[in-house]
Amino acid sequence: MTTPHMVRAGTASYPEGLLDLEDPPDLYLIGDLAAAPGVAVVGTRRCTRYGIDLAERFGRVIAGAGWTVVSGLARGIDAAAHRGCLSVSGHAVGVLGSGVDVCYPAENRPIYDGILESGGAIVSEYSPGTPPDRWRFPARNRIIAAMSTAVVVVEAARTGGALITARLGAEIGRPVFVVPGDVDRPASEGCNLLIRDGANPVLGANDLIEGLGLIIGPPQQAASASTVDLPQSGLTVDELTTHWSLSLPETLARVGRLEIEGLVRMSGDRVIPG
Amino acid sequence: MNSATMSVALVGGDVKPVQVEVHVGRPQESFKLTGLPDTAVREAKDRVRAALASSGAKFPNRTVTVNLSPAALPKGGTEYDLPIALGVLAASREIPSPRDVIVVGELALDGRVRSSTSGMAAGVLSARLDLPCLVPESSASQAASVPGARVYSIKTLAEAAEQLRMGLDDEMVKPRSVPPSLDTTADLADVRGQPMARRATEIAATGRHHLLFHGPPGGGKTMLARRLAGLLPPLSESEAVEVGLIHAAAGLTRGIRWDRPFRSPHHTASRAALVGGGSGVPVPGEVSLANHGLLFLDELAEFPRSHLDTLRQPMEDGAVTIARRGMSVEFPSSFHLVAATNPCPCGFTGDDRKPCQCRPAMVSRYRQRVSGPLLDRIDLVVKVGRVESVEMRSDAETSAIVRKRVAVAVDFRSNRPDLISEAASRLILRALDSGVITARGVERTKRVARTIADLALAEEVSEDHVAEAMVLRGDW
Repeated sequence: MTTPHMVRAGTASYPEGLLDLEDPPDLYLIGDLAAAPGVAVVGTRRCTRYGIDLAERFGRVIAGAGWTVVSGLARGIDAAAHRGCLSVSGHAVGVLGSGVDVCYPAENRPIYDGILESGGAIVSEYSPGTPPDRWRFPARNRIIAAMSTAVVVVEAARTGGALITARLGAEIGRPVFVVPGDVDRPASEGCNLLIRDGANPVLGANDLIEGLGLIIGPPQQAASASTVDLPQSGLTVDELTTHWSLSLPETLARVGRLEIEGLVRMSGDRVIPG
Repeated sequence: MNSATMSVALVGGDVKPVQVEVHVGRPQESFKLTGLPDTAVREAKDRVRAALASSGAKFPNRTVTVNLSPAALPKGGTEYDLPIALGVLAASREIPSPRDVIVVGELALDGRVRSSTSGMAAGVLSARLDLPCLVPESSASQAASVPGARVYSIKTLAEAAEQLRMGLDDEMVKPRSVPPSLDTTADLADVRGQPMARRATEIAATGRHHLLFHGPPGGGKTMLARRLAGLLPPLSESEAVEVGLIHAAAGLTRGIRWDRPFRSPHHTASRAALVGGGSGVPVPGEVSLANHGLLFLDELAEFPRSHLDTLRQPMEDGAVTIARRGMSVEFPSSFHLVAATNPCPCGFTGDDRKPCQCRPAMVSRYRQRVSGPLLDRIDLVVKVGRVESVEMRSDAETSAIVRKRVAVAVDFRSNRPDLISEAASRLILRALDSGVITARGVERTKRVARTIADLALAEEVSEDHVAEAMVLRGDW
């Protein structure tokens, strides 16, 4: 599993999406490419704390929906998206601009190892041992875009790899989702430009999953129950203990879970459906 | 001709020995007092002179210099009267110098000894230095309640002088062991309904979580808060000593007691009353009086915002430093905050039956007063709704039963690994993603979930514990 092997373009195990490229490259690969649809989460290396939080969250919810998180294992947004995915033991693909056995930047070694440990894959078009040269990075962005069903841009400057990934993705018909940002914040300039050019603004984690769901199909792990047996006007927690015949701690625990699923909400001491 | 008498000063939540040095010099009447005395101490001159005269002793017709050492220690109050008077007698060779006896007491002009707030401080120092102490009769039982104190009770200056002249006899005040008296007047069984609020109270008692009750008037918010005190495990010996000394420093006589202090300052209390201050010798405020116990802020939203903000630092550090010119004193302030508030000025926003009379702007202004940094430190936020009459039956658990559960959990807590299941961690992240809790709320949820697990005697925090913790931190 840890030894790189090559997948030739056009063979059965070759990622189908890459065939949308004009020049589908042969791939070097460590680990497993899942059949699950991939979602690229990309962004600038010079990101804000806000961007990091958001990218982690997106990584988590995408993985939680049963999809693969594809990114470039770079500093900043890329790493955060991978981390989020790994925090829920999700499937991730890291696309490198160096040989598959060269982890760059070195600080992302835990993520590199984590991806492989949780059954993901590291891929690159460069032969093993290829050093990380700057000029190689833009080229790997086309692989990130092509391997994914959709591209999500969290933070991007006016110039940079994330913007390239988004544009390449759009060229080969990948829907682009973009987090809008402050108009005067450099790390959001590229994002806002993309939105002006017609990309889909993302209004939150749930909005993203909803939007992706329309393209990819509903998330694999949909909320387990869709309704609760509660009167529309709600019940107090105390009434619920009788209603469900549970102990108070059990009732509270159940309310907490339903709240996370978005099936109930608390209004003071009343539990209200929806 | 010199003498030295041992006495005691209260500094912060602790006691320090003070040497009362007296020098009687050449024949020329004068009386000087040095060593950072406050006004009350300086007035000791006149009381000592009168009391000595009334007791049949002669005030020496010579220069008398009294020094309270260490000079840098701020000294206040009237408790140095007696040691000064005995020191004058000793320096005049009337009695032996009481170097190895701790003496406190205020003198009346007729020579009687009055009670002193330092009675307990003398007891603490006596136990610590293993020296006998002479205290006014009315403070003797307090001093004797300190474990290990050797206490002699006296009524008059003449009696004290006689005791020292003859040597201390065996007639020590019997050490008073304080029975574990727990407040039985406020029992949880009195609270009708409100299982969720009761549960929060139990969790707060176990994990010492700060707690906020909100809801319309008449739900029992204040009742519940008062009953939380009765669920807490009793003070340890060292805690009881510290609490007693802080009370003494504020001029309150509490002595040694095992129940935790319960302080409920009114919302019109000044900032100095809340966090401590005062001119001259610093006096502890409510946050320090509630040290190791409960600070109950009723009508939290009525407290001025600036006052609430001053609570942050003592809450965070567990101590308040009061700086005065030339000195700064630190009082411990690790209190457990319980607060109650109406949801709006009239109290009925969000009520099922009664309409709210307030304009929306008033409601939001009212709510904003309880927000920000203080609210961030409150782990449990529970609505206490009005009780329907059907619930007005009394099959509720008594404080004794809950107290036992809390004690078992607190014991379990002190000696268990801190584990959280992977599923529980994932649930927290899910809650974060779906916006049920904020990033700040993650730590809070973990803390409360940990306590819930302790009450269930579970080493590992489970998903259920986390889910329950989230509900008990409702929106304010």
